Amino acid sequence: MRAFLRVDDALRAALEAAGIEPVEAGDALVFRPGDVGTWLEARRELTESFHLSKDAATRGCPVVYVVDIDALLGRSGPAPAMVAAGLVSAARTLALELKKSAVPVNAVAVERDSDAASIARWVVTLLEGGARGPTGELIHLGGGQIGKALS
Amino acid sequence: MKTAVITGAARGIGLRIARRLAEEYERILLVDVSDRLADAVVEVERPGIDVVPVQADLTETAGIRTVVEAAGPVDALVNNAGITRDARLVNMSEDDFTAVLDVNLGAPCALIEALAPSLAQGSAIVNIASRAYLGNFGQFNYSMSKGGVVGLTRAMAIRLAPDTRVNAVAPGLVNTEMVTTIPEDVLNRMIGAIPLGRMGEPSEIADLVAFLCSPRSSYVTGQVVVIGGGRSLT
Repeated sequence: MRAFLRVDDALRAALEAAGIEPVEAGDALVFRPGDVGTWLEARRELTESFHLSKDAATRGCPVVYVVDIDALLGRSGPAPAMVAAGLVSAARTLALELKKSAVPVNAVAVERDSDAASIARWVVTLLEGGARGPTGELIHLGGGQIGKALS
Repeated sequence: MKTAVITGAARGIGLRIARRLAEEYERILLVDVSDRLADAVVEVERPGIDVVPVQADLTETAGIRTVVEAAGPVDALVNNAGITRDARLVNMSEDDFTAVLDVNLGAPCALIEALAPSLAQGSAIVNIASRAYLGNFGQFNYSMSKGGVVGLTRAMAIRLAPDTRVNAVAPGLVNTEMVTTIPEDVLNRMIGAIPLGRMGEPSEIADLVAFLCSPRSSYVTGQVVVIGGGRSLT
């Protein structure tokens, strides 16, 4: 599978090792926000996700957003929380919009020390899930969400 | 003097929240970008209550400063102001995306941070999210902004504890002016998907907000309460 990878270097390498070919305009999008500490930085990340997601939706490509569990639960501060929770909601809405086209859109929530290879395996599974696979889902890796807020 | 600040207070849910909080607070700041605040003041006013209109654009630094200067010590902040610019993502413009993000998410973030030093011990913040944070067709921008509000709520609940509680309310379909723009057949379909078989009333949202602002919810923080007649189940 060829995909646009807007991710950190470690995840990029793991995705390539998992068989994803990184290209500028691929058959899928994987988006992991960078570190943010202010509203303006959060706005920049969300706006970039908008552009890349719109491009993917226009071409009917599956999407996976990768977010941090700590950010999602608000434990990393307001800016990371707004980005992570915003992307999870975006995944649900885009999944609805692309449901008729059988294009899956999902999110993966990972712990800070999750190994990139594990994340990559789940990302590939979700990208290749097709019409009968998960869509609009949030998959937690590592168990960091257990006993915490539903997200 | 117990003070409550309500944004987007000129009409709809925000105005109803202001009227409800006027039953429990002595000073009510009605914040809105529109010039309809004078009418809202008349609706909220009651004997012994100081109602202060504050016209401000909360997407601008100057607007945030205006609210902070007018507020003084704050016991309750309700971030209600919000807009929609609906379209399927494939047809959504960057302007419509950023406009919704700035009003619905950037403004409450900025206002909470600016008012944080003015928040009284035992104070409460209620952010108005939306059931759309669970996903809603044609609302990529709105859904993302309201999901962001949920994240903001959690982060601020941790940051401002133990002095200030922060919660979110996520309304579903509510009987406001905005509903009048929905075609009748579409509206009927939407209502048909609500287990309670009707739209919510602004007063029902206001009652929940008043509860979350009050000591009656003194052990509740960082939570999202969906108030949508059970629509999130169908």
